[in-house]
Amino acid sequence: MWYYEKKTQYPVRIRKPDPRMAINILTQYGGPNGELAASLRYLSQRFSMPTKETKAILNDIGTEELAHLEMIGSMVHQLMDKVSPQELEKLHVDTMYAVHGRAVFPSDSNGVPFTAAYIESMEDPIANLNEDLAAEQKARATYEYLLKMTDDPDVIDPLRFLREREVVHYQRFGEALRIVQETMGKKKFY
Amino acid sequence: MDERTNLLEQIMAYDFVLYDLQLFLDTHPSDGNALRDYKMALEQSENLRRQYQAKYGPLTTRYLPNTTCWQWVNDPWPWNKEA
Ligand SMILES: [Fe+2]
Repeated sequence: MWYYEKKTQYPVRIRKPDPRMAINILTQYGGPNGELAASLRYLSQRFSMPTKETKAILNDIGTEELAHLEMIGSMVHQLMDKVSPQELEKLHVDTMYAVHGRAVFPSDSNGVPFTAAYIESMEDPIANLNEDLAAEQKARATYEYLLKMTDDPDVIDPLRFLREREVVHYQRFGEALRIVQETMGKKKFY
Repeated sequence: MDERTNLLEQIMAYDFVLYDLQLFLDTHPSDGNALRDYKMALEQSENLRRQYQAKYGPLTTRYLPNTTCWQWVNDPWPWNKEA
């Protein structure tokens, strides 16, 4: 089970609101390559992992992704906080306001709500880990896009941190895949 | 039930009491009786947790046994049926 700690994994302190950037970043909350999808994917797949190391890594990365979800939610909230509806209208992000106000809702940047169709969980751990490698690369690519769309250091700093975590996750999943392949090789599974 | 499971289920029981009290205290932060109950259950839980972890390994990664191997990964994980 889980216990909550009253802190983010890395500091999120954005001084200047930027509603357009909030909506752009929102896709990492509830979009196809976002942190919610990542967490649900790994925490569901962990039940099918065949070795202790791979159970641990899926469990622990799935848990870290929840912390990333919280960071992204905090960023969206801070970027939207107290911006007037008139301002939102001027910036053409008022359609989000019409549906959710300035709340944080799990959708992509186009307002498409989160769906579990973004993820897969199969009994085959090789299939799962290959999906996870792709997912981490897609998340990294998304952070690269987001980094190109802002020059606010308060926003760039946590985005860079999150991008680097995707690189580390990719590395660990590569190792997990190797562990599973070696174990299965020994057991003569094909 | 083996000794490990027995000890673990005692911790689970105290931890559930703690969580339920936590929710109550969230909406009644100045309820002294609930706070006293929380304190008592917390002491029990921490005491049992100390015993458990020394004997059977970590419940969280913040307990580091004095060994050369990272015991965190060890089976059983909570979703595994005991062998
Ligand atoms: Fe990740």
